[in-house]
Amino acid sequence: MINVDALTKSFKNVQALDSLSFQAKDGEITGLLGPNGAGKTTCLRIIYGLLQSNTGKAEIAGVDANQNPIDARRNLGIFPDKFGLYERLTVREQIAYFAGLHGLKGKEQKQAVAKVIEKLDIKELTDRRMAGFSQGQRMKVALAQALVHSPRHLILDEPSRGLDVMSTRILRDILREQRAQGTCILFSSHVMQEVAALCDRVVVMANGKVAAEGTPQELCDMAGEQQLEDAFVKIIGTDEGIAA
Amino acid sequence: MSALTSVWKKEFRDAIRDRRSVLAAMSYAFFGPLLMAVAFFFLITQLTDQADVEITIKGQEHAPQFVDFLSERGVVAKQDDWAKTKTPIVLTLPENWQQSLKKAEPVEVTLRADWSAQKQQTDIKRVEQAVQAYSSQITAYRLTLRGIDPRVTQPLQLQKQDLATRGSKAALIMGSVLVFIILSVFWSGMNVAIDISAGERERNSLEFLLSQPLSTWDIVTGKALTATSFSLFGAILSLVLIPIIFAYVPLHEIGMNVNFSVGMMVLMFILLVPLALFATALQLFVSFRAKNFKEAQTYISFLLIIPMAASFGVEFARLKNPILYYLPLTGQHQAFLSLIRGESVNVMGTVISAVATLAVALLLMKYIARMLKSEKIVFGL
Repeated sequence: MINVDALTKSFKNVQALDSLSFQAKDGEITGLLGPNGAGKTTCLRIIYGLLQSNTGKAEIAGVDANQNPIDARRNLGIFPDKFGLYERLTVREQIAYFAGLHGLKGKEQKQAVAKVIEKLDIKELTDRRMAGFSQGQRMKVALAQALVHSPRHLILDEPSRGLDVMSTRILRDILREQRAQGTCILFSSHVMQEVAALCDRVVVMANGKVAAEGTPQELCDMAGEQQLEDAFVKIIGTDEGIAA
Repeated sequence: MSALTSVWKKEFRDAIRDRRSVLAAMSYAFFGPLLMAVAFFFLITQLTDQADVEITIKGQEHAPQFVDFLSERGVVAKQDDWAKTKTPIVLTLPENWQQSLKKAEPVEVTLRADWSAQKQQTDIKRVEQAVQAYSSQITAYRLTLRGIDPRVTQPLQLQKQDLATRGSKAALIMGSVLVFIILSVFWSGMNVAIDISAGERERNSLEFLLSQPLSTWDIVTGKALTATSFSLFGAILSLVLIPIIFAYVPLHEIGMNVNFSVGMMVLMFILLVPLALFATALQLFVSFRAKNFKEAQTYISFLLIIPMAASFGVEFARLKNPILYYLPLTGQHQAFLSLIRGESVNVMGTVISAVATLAVALLLMKYIARMLKSEKIVFGL
C-alpha cells in the first residue's frame, strides 16, 4: 500500500503540494488525475524519495520514503515520466542491469529477466541494441525493467503518452494482470479515457490538493454529470490542461 | 557492494561500445608520443649536424696553407651559388698575405656575414674559431722561433668540466615526456566521464537511476571506477608506447641515455592510479553539474588547464620547493623526474602525495554523492 499523508512541498514561491493525502491500495489501480502543473510529478518524486517533502510523509508498505529511501524503493517498480534507455545496451542487458540494482543475482536474475521478456512478448528484441527503437518498443522495455524484480508496488508517470493504440492496449493488459496478482498500482495521467477505462479509484488533484476521490462512477455522481470528463471539469473548476 | 559492481559492469560495457570514448582514450596515448618522438628526432639531427661549413673564400690563391687548415677544420670553399634566402658568408684573404706574414705584421682577414641570422650562427662561429686557431698556431711558431715558451701568452687556462651527466641531460628532454604521461590520465578518461554523468542526464536516464534502491555513493563509485579504468588504460598505453617509440630516436647521439626499465614503468603506473581516480573525480564533479554533454565538455576543457599549468609550470619554471613533493599532481611529477634522472625517489613525499591524492579524490566523490541527493542539482530547481 502506498500511503500519502499530508504532504506539503514548496519550491521558492510556488506551493507545489498543499497537505496532499491519499492512499493507493494493494490489488487496485489508483489513478492520479490532474491538469498539467497540479503537482502529480512532484508527488511521485517524493514517493520515490528523490524530493524531500516540507511536511507530511509518503510511505510504501509502511516505509517512509524520505527517511529511508533505499528500503522504500526495494518494493517499488517505476515507469518514469521520461525514460531514457541506454541505447548501446541490448534489451536483455538493460533489464538485467536494473534487476541487478534490485539485488537479483546469477541464476535468479536470469530467470527474472527471461520471465519478464516472455510476459511483455519482446523475445525478438532481446539481443538487439536499443538505438532506433520505436516508442512502443521503448515502452515495453521500460515496463519490463520496472517489473523485473516483481515489485509489490508499481508507479507509472503518464505512461500512455506518445503510444499508439496497440501499445496502449498492451500496457493496459499488463496493468490488469499485475492488479490481479495483488500489486498496488498508482498511475498519474491527464488522459480521461485512460483513467475511466482502467482505474478502480481516482484521486483528482488540483493546485497540490485532493479535489475529489472515489471510483469513476462516484465522481460522476458527485458532480452530477454523465461523463467523467465533465465531472472532472466541474470538480477542478476549470478545463485548463485536460486532454480528452 | 553488488550494486556498485552492477553499475561498474554496466557503465564499462556501455562505454566500451561507445567508439568515440575508446578512440579518445587511445588516440592521445598513441599519437602523443609519436609526435613527440618526431619532434625530438629533428631536434637531435639539428644538434648533431657536423657537416662541413661551406663559405665563399676570396683570394684562396694567396694562402693555400690556410685554406688547407680550414678544410681540416671542416670549413670549405663553397662550389655552387648561395641560395637567395641566405646571406653569403664571405672570407676574404688579402694579396699581401705571404709578405705580411714574413714581416710578422698583422694580416687583415675579412669575414662578411649576417650575425643576426639564427640558422647561420653555428656556421659563423665555426669559421671564427678556425681563424682563431690558425692565428694561435702561428703565434706559437713565432714565439718558439724566438726562444720563448708559447705558454707565456696563456696566463689563464679555463678548464671546462661539464657536470651534466648523460642521464640529467636526458631528463631535460624527458621532462616534457613526463608531463605528457601525467596528462594522459586526464585526457583518456575524459570522454567516458562526461558521457556517464552529463550524458546520462541528457538522455533522461539519470532520474530513473537515482530512483533505484542503491546509494548515490555506489552510483558515483561505479561510474568513477569506469572512467578511471579508461584513464589508466590510456596511461598504460602511453607508458608502453613511449619506450618503444623512443627506441627509434637517436638520443645517444647527443650523449643521452634513457633507460625505461620495466620496474620503473610499473612504479610509474602505480603512482598514476590515485592520480587517475583524482582526475576522474574532478571531471565527474564538473560534468554532473552540466546540463548536457556539450556544456560539460566546455567546462572540462577549462579544467584541463589546471594539470597542464601545474606540470608544465613546474617543469619549465624549474620550480623547486619541498612542498611540491607532497601535493597531489606535483608529487607524482617530482617522483617521475627523480625516477627518470636515476636519482633516489623521495619516498616519504611520494607516499604522502599518493595518499593525499587518493584522499582528495575520495572526498570529491563523497561530495558528488551528496550532490546527487540535492534537488537543486538533480532537477536544476
